[in-house]
Amino acid sequence: MIDKFYLPRPVLIFLLSTLGLIVFPHFFNLPVNLMVLFYLMLGWRFIGMWKPLWLPNKVLLFMLTTGGMALLYFQHQGVVGRDAGTSLFVTALGLKLLEIKSERDIYLINFLAFIVAASQFLFQQSILMAAYILFVCCVLVATLFCVNSHDHKTFSALKYASLLILQGLPISIVLFILFPRVEAPRWILFDEHRAKSGLSDTMEPGSISDLVLSDDLVFRVRFAGELPPAWQRYWRGPVLSWTDGKRWTQAPNLSVIKSPPSPQFTGLPYQYTLLMEPQNKNWVYGLEMVADYGFPVHQNANYQLVTSDDPNKRAEYTITSYTRFNTGSLSAREAQDALQLPGGASYNIKQLVTNLQGFDGDPENFIKRVLNHFKVENFHYTLTPPLAEDHPIETFLFESRQGFCSHYASAFVYLMRIADIPARVVTGYQGGELNPVGNFLEIRQSDAHAWAEVWLQNKGWVRVDPTAAIAPERIENTINPDQLVAGELIRYLSVDGHAQGAYNWLRQARQLWGHVDYNWQRWVINYDNKNQSRFLSKWGISDLKTMIYGMVAAASLIIGLLAWMLLHQKQKSTAMALRIYQRFCKKLAKQGLIISTGEGPKDFAARARFKFPAYAKEIDFISAGFIRLHYGKDPSLEELKMFRRRVARFKI
Amino acid sequence: MLALLLLMAFVYNNNLVYLLTFLLASIFFITILHTFRSLSGLSVQKVRSTPVFLGDAAGFEIRIDNPGGSARHIHITLESTERLMLKTQSQTQLTVYAMTQKRGRQQVGTITLASTFPLGLFRAWSPVRLSFETLVYPKPAQSQLPFPETPAAHVGQGLTKKGADDFYGVQEYQAGDSVKQIHWKAFAKGLGVFSKQYSGESQTEIWLDYQFTPGNTVEDRLSQLCRWVCDAEKLGVRYGFVLPGLSVSPGQGREHTRKCLEALALF
Repeated sequence: MIDKFYLPRPVLIFLLSTLGLIVFPHFFNLPVNLMVLFYLMLGWRFIGMWKPLWLPNKVLLFMLTTGGMALLYFQHQGVVGRDAGTSLFVTALGLKLLEIKSERDIYLINFLAFIVAASQFLFQQSILMAAYILFVCCVLVATLFCVNSHDHKTFSALKYASLLILQGLPISIVLFILFPRVEAPRWILFDEHRAKSGLSDTMEPGSISDLVLSDDLVFRVRFAGELPPAWQRYWRGPVLSWTDGKRWTQAPNLSVIKSPPSPQFTGLPYQYTLLMEPQNKNWVYGLEMVADYGFPVHQNANYQLVTSDDPNKRAEYTITSYTRFNTGSLSAREAQDALQLPGGASYNIKQLVTNLQGFDGDPENFIKRVLNHFKVENFHYTLTPPLAEDHPIETFLFESRQGFCSHYASAFVYLMRIADIPARVVTGYQGGELNPVGNFLEIRQSDAHAWAEVWLQNKGWVRVDPTAAIAPERIENTINPDQLVAGELIRYLSVDGHAQGAYNWLRQARQLWGHVDYNWQRWVINYDNKNQSRFLSKWGISDLKTMIYGMVAAASLIIGLLAWMLLHQKQKSTAMALRIYQRFCKKLAKQGLIISTGEGPKDFAARARFKFPAYAKEIDFISAGFIRLHYGKDPSLEELKMFRRRVARFKI
Repeated sequence: MLALLLLMAFVYNNNLVYLLTFLLASIFFITILHTFRSLSGLSVQKVRSTPVFLGDAAGFEIRIDNPGGSARHIHITLESTERLMLKTQSQTQLTVYAMTQKRGRQQVGTITLASTFPLGLFRAWSPVRLSFETLVYPKPAQSQLPFPETPAAHVGQGLTKKGADDFYGVQEYQAGDSVKQIHWKAFAKGLGVFSKQYSGESQTEIWLDYQFTPGNTVEDRLSQLCRWVCDAEKLGVRYGFVLPGLSVSPGQGREHTRKCLEALALF
């Protein structure tokens, strides 16, 4: 179109700053030297605005390109995959900046920038990041606006860009909901798995205390009906029954053991959906005890739920649990696992068990006495107990008497096994904070917990939580991790509002945010193939064909509406004339002269003139004005304004 | 780009990339409406055109009305393209130029109004064909021939060269001034080229007659006549004008010249 290409300097400055903003978050994702290369080129282009001769010529540009590609190759060994691909686009963007020769180059740069902006979502998908990317895309659209108009003011360009985004939003939402999601085959994914913290299948001294300091979300639960009471919210994870006196591990070859018969359930069922955050283990933390679950979840021999899906992706499960249950008889294998001991017990321990009447044959009494022992003796609950390398259980029971849930659970199970009572350690999460805004529970890493399970005649496996004996607050409330780091002993955060007002306010804000984030994860990030068909089936859309028809129909409808709104200004101005005329009619109606349906303005004017001869001139003028504005050619704004003033002045 | 983004969203099952792709796609699509709107409602009217000599660019003055409530950013093309902003509810007058190829009447041709507003992804255009013409006079001849000796039938005295008697003043050199008239002293001082004017019997009349005009072809003759008409007008000589089938009695002034040039253009 335009032969000579000229890009005004403010537009170029605007574009370059935008690019700086777009690439910036990649500092967290890409190798630093590539990022430095990009920003050097960006800076070079900036300087080039005032010193055009300093910009690289063809030879230098070729060398830079070769250098950039070499760096890229050494960094990633190729250009395939998320990291390498993103680096490629960032480098290409930087190189292209140094060579802006025609308007076409500006478009190329803009399109590359959109791709770089989108690649950010491969690394992070939070709401804040989405808002940031939306903002930079708005600025990018604004630069295109500047190139194509005479208006180079930043503000008006941004305003127009936001208007475009607002108009585009409805269509994009329709497309988002109805565009058929097809899962890409696994082999296409080049994703590297990242290490995540979480419960492990072994328990060592200190292993859970690391987690307690972490505020990361593990999963969220939304109950269909009532919530179980706080003291019954035990989310079952791996069951550890083997020990060498220090380490506790899951029973070997767990996967081949046949599942035990389903427990007998009594009481109320709790139905809930569980939204797991990405995990490195395929465990699903169901409420004790799980009765019903669907594919792809299975239950292993320890009543623990595992999924056959990729745990590294967010997933949603619908589960039913009962808090009252009876697992029935004990299999020989379970008995063998639950009574396993690493060699003989020491004299001290045997003495303790004897004192607590462990060998008398009444397991339930023994359990009570052990718990009472923890309570009355000088036992403390702390996350920073002294380290005991050699005999952690003995050291804990007789010397330090300080520990946290894993110490109490392991010591308790050990004592039970000495007394020949089948027992094992269960790890998982306990509690969870209720988000009153969204009415769901949020379970964080800091809720990680370990408790014990004892098999009793006629009752089956029964949960015993020794930590509850020593620190019942731990079970009723949530630990405040901020305070944990500061002090050695744990103080608890009270749920029922004894905390300071400021903290409450923060807490509410956090809950609100949690609610928003939950819905974001659930409806936006996690809107996959499965969720889509579930959501759409509510609206009666079940197959691909209807989906595509629906998408096209809805998008066309919105586009039609938009077109009507954008292109029908005439409609608007004539409607305005009509509105003003109606005001005039109302004034006459107050005086008893009502326009009848189907009566034209001329006839009505004749009647009005007859009734109010004193105002004949004014009535004629207004009627004629209306006829001209409403039925004539497009009236200008000025004419309309004049007409309105005239009607406003008309008094009768 | 959108295809690449869609591929990215598909491969990584990334809903936010999907969302961004759809958003960009809808924005790009909506700009079609905006681009269309930036032209719709505009009206183009002719204002005036001025006659030109063959070889010069003919200017056509037009007026573009923007009755809409928003400013328009358009490109207007006749032979070259011009970018233009039309303010809200405004009238803009501008002149578009077309090279002249032939003597006679020349139509404006197709004026194209186009817009790539707002994002440059689409272009809306509208060819405007106005019945709008201008006169193209013959190109004035380059050679400096003296005015023709007029047949005595028309004039009693014959041609007296423009006064060689009394010095009258100095004026800027005009093509056609005699070399003798050049004010050499001023030229030597570097003031530019001026020619001295003498007033004499300025009531002289000449006749410019097609029949007595040298030239190999019709166009050459017309071209020479055109040159004489211009020179005569410049020098303030009264002249009569004769074309086959047309005779204009001697006269002077802009209107007279226009009449003669028009006759030349349409011959």
